[in-house]
Amino acid sequence: MGNLTQLAQALVDLDEELVNKIVKEKIAAGEAPLDIIKECNEGMGKIGKLFEANEYYLSELIMSGEILKGVMNELEPLLANVEKEASTADVVVIGTVKDDIHDIGKNIVVTLLKGTGFDVIDLGVDVPAETFVKTIKETGARVLGLSALLNFTFPAMKEVVDQLAAAGLRDQVKVIIGGAPCNEEVRQFTGADYLAKDAATGVNICKEIFGKC
Amino acid sequence: MSENIQQKYNERLRRYQAAIALEMPDRIPISAGSNYFAEVYAGHTNQEFIYDVDKWKEADVKFVNDFPEVDAFRSGRFWGPLHDAVGFNMYKLPGRELSPRTQFQFVEGERMKADEYDLLINDPVNFLFERFLPRTLNDFKEPGSARANVALIKGAMASAMLGGFMRNRSMYLQSELGMPNSMGGVFLAPFDYLADGLRGLRGVMLDVRRQPDKILEACEALIPDIVNAGLAIADPLRRSPIFLPLHRGAFPFLSPKQFDELYWPSLKKTMLMFIDAGYTIRAYLEGDWGPNWHHFRELPKGKVLCDIDVQGDIFKAKEDLGGYQCIAGGMPDSLLILGAPAEVKERVKLLCETVGKDGGFIINGGCGIPYDTKPENFKAMLEAVLEYGRYSDTFDFEIHMSPTPPAGWQPPRRRVVTPWEVKLQELGGVKGEESPIKKNWEMLEHMAFNWLFSWLW
Repeated sequence: MGNLTQLAQALVDLDEELVNKIVKEKIAAGEAPLDIIKECNEGMGKIGKLFEANEYYLSELIMSGEILKGVMNELEPLLANVEKEASTADVVVIGTVKDDIHDIGKNIVVTLLKGTGFDVIDLGVDVPAETFVKTIKETGARVLGLSALLNFTFPAMKEVVDQLAAAGLRDQVKVIIGGAPCNEEVRQFTGADYLAKDAATGVNICKEIFGKC
Repeated sequence: MSENIQQKYNERLRRYQAAIALEMPDRIPISAGSNYFAEVYAGHTNQEFIYDVDKWKEADVKFVNDFPEVDAFRSGRFWGPLHDAVGFNMYKLPGRELSPRTQFQFVEGERMKADEYDLLINDPVNFLFERFLPRTLNDFKEPGSARANVALIKGAMASAMLGGFMRNRSMYLQSELGMPNSMGGVFLAPFDYLADGLRGLRGVMLDVRRQPDKILEACEALIPDIVNAGLAIADPLRRSPIFLPLHRGAFPFLSPKQFDELYWPSLKKTMLMFIDAGYTIRAYLEGDWGPNWHHFRELPKGKVLCDIDVQGDIFKAKEDLGGYQCIAGGMPDSLLILGAPAEVKERVKLLCETVGKDGGFIINGGCGIPYDTKPENFKAMLEAVLEYGRYSDTFDFEIHMSPTPPAGWQPPRRRVVTPWEVKLQELGGVKGEESPIKKNWEMLEHMAFNWLFSWLW
């Protein structure tokens, strides 16, 4: 990644006022909304790197998401007329497994994945195995991330892997588990392919799978 | 209480207290603050345990009889009917929104808005009644309505009932089973009151960037009420520590700088106030506290038992906290749930030979014993502690028990809604002695405020 544009840098600096000011100026100057979004994404990528390096923490991550949300609100009306480019990005499906409603960790991973250029299908929390399987089938996604905070979820994670196998999809998708209670022992029990001990590791595993390293 | 049971109780309590005080008991104590396993071991579902207090006794009797090596435990702090009475929306409960065999779970939300700090700080009673409770208690959405009024009455009654159930349970555990409570009473870090129930995680994280001064001001303002609410339900005899579950001070929620500035100072102050009142504290360092736990060295030695979660490194914790505070933990949840007895014993042996070898250590899972622990693994853990965790055959440690605070201690100012002076004026004076009337008026006013405060988390 080369030098950041002024907008991307302002986002990295979490300077909400400056970001909003630049975006307003760009809109007034008739700049294409997709170009503005691209600059913001570069900033988000840098923020992900700072998070990985323990220079940024959760409050910085959440703040950047908030600023980005403001920018998207500004751009939304302009995007209606823009034809969406067909997604060429690599798709990752992710969700918190059945009976667990926690999503802080999962959301960190989603933010970092998007900042790295992945297309993310976030199924939310308390996701039944059937929904994971159905989504993998429909999208043909090659990576599935299973998240959990509570330690009663090991069977729920295993259930997803088992159902993928039963649906004949096991070979097409790599399964990553992550979250507080996960470790190598849990990975073996669930039959998942990878263990992500933290968010950054999860992103790096995705990069590895898609050959982006 | 039979002499035998009394002796058993004293032995267990001594062992537990000695370890917390960094002394060497006869062996490493076995104690979970949250023994989830004990709730379901007798065959009850999570829903049954949360909704039917009669199940507590059955569960406790079976658990203690089958695992007499345990030195202190506590299980189950929720009573579903209390939550239902007011429509408390901060938790999902098994059998209600969750499947009957699932753990209760916290529900994130922004129950205080970004611009309400001043109201919280300057006028907490109105803040609670007008802003917070209507958003938090589904039966109190329209304050003043019959439904809302009845919700408060039911809620207060249910709280009093729960207090009675808890007391009876403690008495039964003590006098019939010889089993001490591992904790009594609860409080949170001031920052966590904001981050959990009030602003919610997203809200507080934005405030960290946008209005850190307000966070500091609110944390400071909350301290006296936190201390009073905690003391109100703590063990009056000061035998067991007060429970302190710590949440957003873990890595990577806050940067070390943010932790030092926004999280720690008010937490330290609050803990010192409980310690000054003659209590010890059992702090759950939930998540990874590795970068921050060195701060516990700033507190008086042997006063804060630190539970190390599965994401924390128990060996590093010993290095950093050894000689300062007792630590608990060391048994990975996954090992208790998925492992085999031989592996469990191996792990206990390792812990006994390393982190446990010179005292200041209590064996536990990561801040609790998981629901899905295999009974044979739990048994193996206990047997292994007896085998590898012995320090000596005899030890002489005096139980710490005191019905009164240390000399000179004063509680922080107690909040009331209607001060006695206002009441007295309305009465136009009293004809007899004022003090018994005043004392009880203020006691109930204070209890009422504590009750309102209890919904913050």
